[in-house]
Amino acid sequence: MRARTVYIVITAVILIGAAVWCAYVMKPKSGKTVVISQDGKVLYHIDLDSEKDKTIDVEYDGRKNIIEIKGGRIHMKSADCPDHICIDTGWLEDGKPIVCLPNRLVIEYEDGDIDGTAR
Amino acid sequence: MDTKKLTHLGLLTCLALIIFIVELRIPDIVPIPGVKLGLANIVTVYCVYNYRPGETAMMLYSRILLGALFSGNLMALWYSIAGGTLCFIGMEILKNFIREDNMWFLSIAGAVCHNIGQIAVAMLVLKSTSVIAYLPFLMISGCIAGLFTGLCTQMVCKRLKRTRKVS
Repeated sequence: MRARTVYIVITAVILIGAAVWCAYVMKPKSGKTVVISQDGKVLYHIDLDSEKDKTIDVEYDGRKNIIEIKGGRIHMKSADCPDHICIDTGWLEDGKPIVCLPNRLVIEYEDGDIDGTAR
Repeated sequence: MDTKKLTHLGLLTCLALIIFIVELRIPDIVPIPGVKLGLANIVTVYCVYNYRPGETAMMLYSRILLGALFSGNLMALWYSIAGGTLCFIGMEILKNFIREDNMWFLSIAGAVCHNIGQIAVAMLVLKSTSVIAYLPFLMISGCIAGLFTGLCTQMVCKRLKRTRKVS
């Protein structure tokens, strides 16, 4: 019976730790610079505040992703990967990047506010 | 290995595959890559307690390989292999300390190990560390899914013992 208590406590600690981490990740980002990178290489640096509405096509291995910027927000408009998780993620809002695993594409806010304050 | 054991392992692989294929039909609830119930883990946890590590490994890898072939998603194979391996190693070590009536905890530990493996591969594939932001979400879902599959395994084991006594 004692062992069970220990296990419940460990599980609770993992859960609480993960929840705190989640909250940290989901904190809205203050920076407005978005980085689009593929296969570890940075493709675009985009300042969402000054960027006009447009779509960006990114190709990988014959497959295509279309990223849309609209009203200072960014999301994956379409992708021909099998799972479409990147589209379901919706608009980029917090530290949770938009990821297209099959096409190795990552859209995320740039780390730190160095860029923001310098401007 | 005798024929009886081989047959048992074959049947277990088959069972795990069926569960895996059925689970593919369940639509994704949250748009986070890698979140799933992992029902096939029921069979893995059962094997960890009832078979030797080598035998469990054979069952696990046959299932992962065939599962990836059947689902036609070979990209997911690497995530499954990395997650599965970490989960398997973690569970094999922990089963020496965790008694059978606390199987649910072993399952949770395995699920969290699986998540860490998945994210590690995702970081390698994307050559970017930013996906680690998904780890806490996966860990929460892993705890819930692990608890569920672990409790399932416990019930299966209880019932199997009862039938064995009768027959």
